[in-house]
Amino acid sequence: MKIVEFQDVTRVYTSGEHELKALNGVNMSLDEGKFVVILGPSGAGKSTLLNMLGGLDSPTSGKITVGGKDISTLSNDELAEYRAETVGFVFQFYNLIPTLTVYENVALVKEISKNSLDPAKILEEVGLADHMKNFPAELSGGEQQRVSIARAIAKNPKILLCDEPTGALDSDTGVLVLKLLLSMARNYGKTIVIVTHNQNIAKMADVVIRVKSGKIKSYEEQENPMSADEVEW
Amino acid sequence: MKWSGNIMLLKKLFRTAWAYKAQFISMIIMIAIGVGVFFGFNIEWYSLDEDSSEFFEATKYADYRIYNEAGFTEEDINAIKGIEGVEAASRILAVNVDVKGTEDALGLFVPEDYVVSTILVNEGADYNAETKGFWLSDKYAQANDLSVGDTLTVTYMGIEVKGEILGLGKSGEYLICVADENQLMPDMETYGYVYASPAIISENIGMEFYPQINIISELTKNQLEDEIKAALGETTLVTTKDEHYSYAGLQSEVEEGKTMGALVPVLFLAIAILTMVTTMHRITANEKTQIGTLKALGFKDRRILRHYTSYGFMLGLAGTILGILLGYFIAGFIMDENGMMGTYIDMPSWQLRMPGICWIILVLIVVLQTFIGYLSVKKMLKGTAAEALRPYTPKKVKAMFLEKTPLWNKLPFATKWNLRDVVRHKSRSFMTLIGIIGCMLLLVGGLGMKDTMGGFIDMINNDIYDYTTKINMVETADNEDIVEFAKKYDGDWQATLSIKLDDKAIALDIYDVEHDMINFVDEDDQKVTLGNDGAYICIRLTDDIQVGDTISFSPYGSEETYEVKVAGVIRSIMTENITMTKEYAESIGIPYHISSIYTDTPQEGIEDSSIVAGKQSKQSIMDSYENFMEIMDIMVAVFVIGAIVLGIVVLYNLGVMSYIERSRELATLKVVGFKDKHIGKILISQNIWLTVVGVIIGLPAGIGVLKLLLVMLATEYELKLLVGPLTYAISMLVTFGVSLVVGFFVARKNKKIDMVEALKGRE
Repeated sequence: MKIVEFQDVTRVYTSGEHELKALNGVNMSLDEGKFVVILGPSGAGKSTLLNMLGGLDSPTSGKITVGGKDISTLSNDELAEYRAETVGFVFQFYNLIPTLTVYENVALVKEISKNSLDPAKILEEVGLADHMKNFPAELSGGEQQRVSIARAIAKNPKILLCDEPTGALDSDTGVLVLKLLLSMARNYGKTIVIVTHNQNIAKMADVVIRVKSGKIKSYEEQENPMSADEVEW
Repeated sequence: MKWSGNIMLLKKLFRTAWAYKAQFISMIIMIAIGVGVFFGFNIEWYSLDEDSSEFFEATKYADYRIYNEAGFTEEDINAIKGIEGVEAASRILAVNVDVKGTEDALGLFVPEDYVVSTILVNEGADYNAETKGFWLSDKYAQANDLSVGDTLTVTYMGIEVKGEILGLGKSGEYLICVADENQLMPDMETYGYVYASPAIISENIGMEFYPQINIISELTKNQLEDEIKAALGETTLVTTKDEHYSYAGLQSEVEEGKTMGALVPVLFLAIAILTMVTTMHRITANEKTQIGTLKALGFKDRRILRHYTSYGFMLGLAGTILGILLGYFIAGFIMDENGMMGTYIDMPSWQLRMPGICWIILVLIVVLQTFIGYLSVKKMLKGTAAEALRPYTPKKVKAMFLEKTPLWNKLPFATKWNLRDVVRHKSRSFMTLIGIIGCMLLLVGGLGMKDTMGGFIDMINNDIYDYTTKINMVETADNEDIVEFAKKYDGDWQATLSIKLDDKAIALDIYDVEHDMINFVDEDDQKVTLGNDGAYICIRLTDDIQVGDTISFSPYGSEETYEVKVAGVIRSIMTENITMTKEYAESIGIPYHISSIYTDTPQEGIEDSSIVAGKQSKQSIMDSYENFMEIMDIMVAVFVIGAIVLGIVVLYNLGVMSYIERSRELATLKVVGFKDKHIGKILISQNIWLTVVGVIIGLPAGIGVLKLLLVMLATEYELKLLVGPLTYAISMLVTFGVSLVVGFFVARKNKKIDMVEALKGRE
């Protein structure tokens, strides 16, 4: 079943007289429950693609449908609702609230999401049961990223969106975080989209989409994706 | 190469200034207000002092005045002129007279010798003792449509003196032109002054009567007193210019300006400096990686320091320049011949002058601001280039006491977030509090002062004065005749004499109150009926004297000493005085002369008589208080505007700063799915809490400042602190209003946060 549809999506950034086509007529669709990796060099437009999907940005033209709903014409408040209910974000730099504890950072989503899950339980699952009362600054990078995964899952969204989730971590920690991310997504049956320039992550994906110069260069379904342990990091 | 580096840095300087324009503008405004208020008040008192000094000199203002109710003889004046150290002296007739055909009164001033207390004629003929005519106060003439060539008729001791107005002018003698101590503010429409030549007076009255001598002398009061005693053979009341209404009133105005100039700017300057400290710290913290980059590129610390320090210098300079302009504007606003000060003081020149100390303060402020800039960046430059490159990390969040209580977990997320934010950014929260407290303080202070003055005047009008007309008696009239006259109009009477109490000249007021035309109140504004077994002191005297004490004093012009028992305390309206009943005065045998009668009969119902010097309606006194209250209104308006500007500038600056600091967190909240409105509410609720705390502190602080002000005014007025419920309500409403409006504008900025931009890695 299709969960995401992009129809001829274009995003133009104008600054002064310059026009930059970050996305130029993108068409793609994603199946529910799949692990999707979007690959591409920097500046190719992959982050823009992810931001469109996450409701952080709206297309200049074209149509984006998520779960049968057109999100390309939503108002600011409707987009906020969409972000609250449908998508969960994991960023390269975690983006936790420094003045809230680990537990509070995750429990935050209860304020906005109707179907949110129990923060304590999720934190236990990501292995942070002992750190719930700590502040983000007291944790390592890997631990902070696990908090942000917990926060994304706790909203109980349909799709997990991750922008270079291991980009700021050393490779060992990165693999651990990636494994956790995938197992959490599988256990809770989430569609997961990861934007990266790391080819190795792509080996584990159900679908690999390559982006170049604002266009989809290839769309490839992998019959037998590797597990994290099989990949040579 | 060095040049291009400088140009690039200079470009950066202006671009950075532009990027932080909200902060820079608010800092400039705060400095400008602080400097402006400081300069404003200081220019005001200094100009007042200098301008009036010139005027006093030009009109040969007298240093001393001596009085003799029976009049001074020609021998007396010659004896005084003969005293070594007396530069000039002249016999004077100065009395209040009625203007025929009106309810107005004029201070009639007749100098025998035109060598002291002269009039500066600005229209018509110069003063001439031989010419029969009047030289009228130009302001009174203007207010009453009189001009040179018109005829003026005044009534003195029932005799009409008619003459031509030969000139218009101003005199230092009447710098503050009031009929007597009961008149708080001049009212040139109903009371002015007129110089008359001895020629016209002797022609109409037919006799010479000079109960006053004005003296210019370098001698001290004590020396002069001794000399006069030797010359005239008796003790004579010598009053210094400090006891003369014009000079004393001016001096207290100058002192008030000095106090205001020292007190009020402290608040604004302190806030300006605190704002500067927090803002500069924030800006350099935000710029830390850029500072590191410059360092890494090979710029020497000194260059970078100079670059960032120049922000402080730039801001200080721009703020002070604007401040000087604002200062002149404020001073000009107060020192306005046709405005505030002009209703009180009547002098020809209103030139604004800056006291020398202002320049020193000015330089200090610019240096201080530059130094603050220097210190802020110095902190960021510490260590190696690599260390400098790392972004500024604020102190770690520590768990608060509250978190250990079970209550904490029940708090909603927004509350937790806000509480931690307030605790984490202590200096910002503190500054916000200071801004709100300052706003509240100015409002309560300004409005409360008006309440207090208004209450005082209401008390005079409703509780103390119950008469319709005050009749001033001629100084030579017999007491029996006056009492007879008073009986005819069911009047009460008052006698006033100057007494010396512990080397201080105060007034002794003796009353005969049978018709309750005059009433008395105690410290708690409760009515007091005067008893016949003691004297009553005014509140000012309670510092040294207690009820039950026995005090002794001697009237001027007498060798006798009188001992009286203090029976109670009453609130004096104007003068520092002792009050007693006629019965008690007679029982201790003190001689007195009745000076005025209070009656319910309106002015026109009172017959002319040779013992009547003039009539004054209570209404005209109350009208002069009205004038005073109008000026009060302007002052209150200035305070309210000051409070609002202060609140807006401080809160907006901090709000924008905190918004920039938290933009990443706010962006995260947005990405997670919080709606703009929801985030706005969280931001505003922090403002509301701080405002509540600020109001709770600011309210008593405002009352405290008011009390302090009353203590400082205590030598002039015996005011009772009075703050009405409306003052509380308005102060709180305005403070909350300012806080909410600013909070709303800051929260609105939240909509513009670009989530993608804000989340793109660490800057």
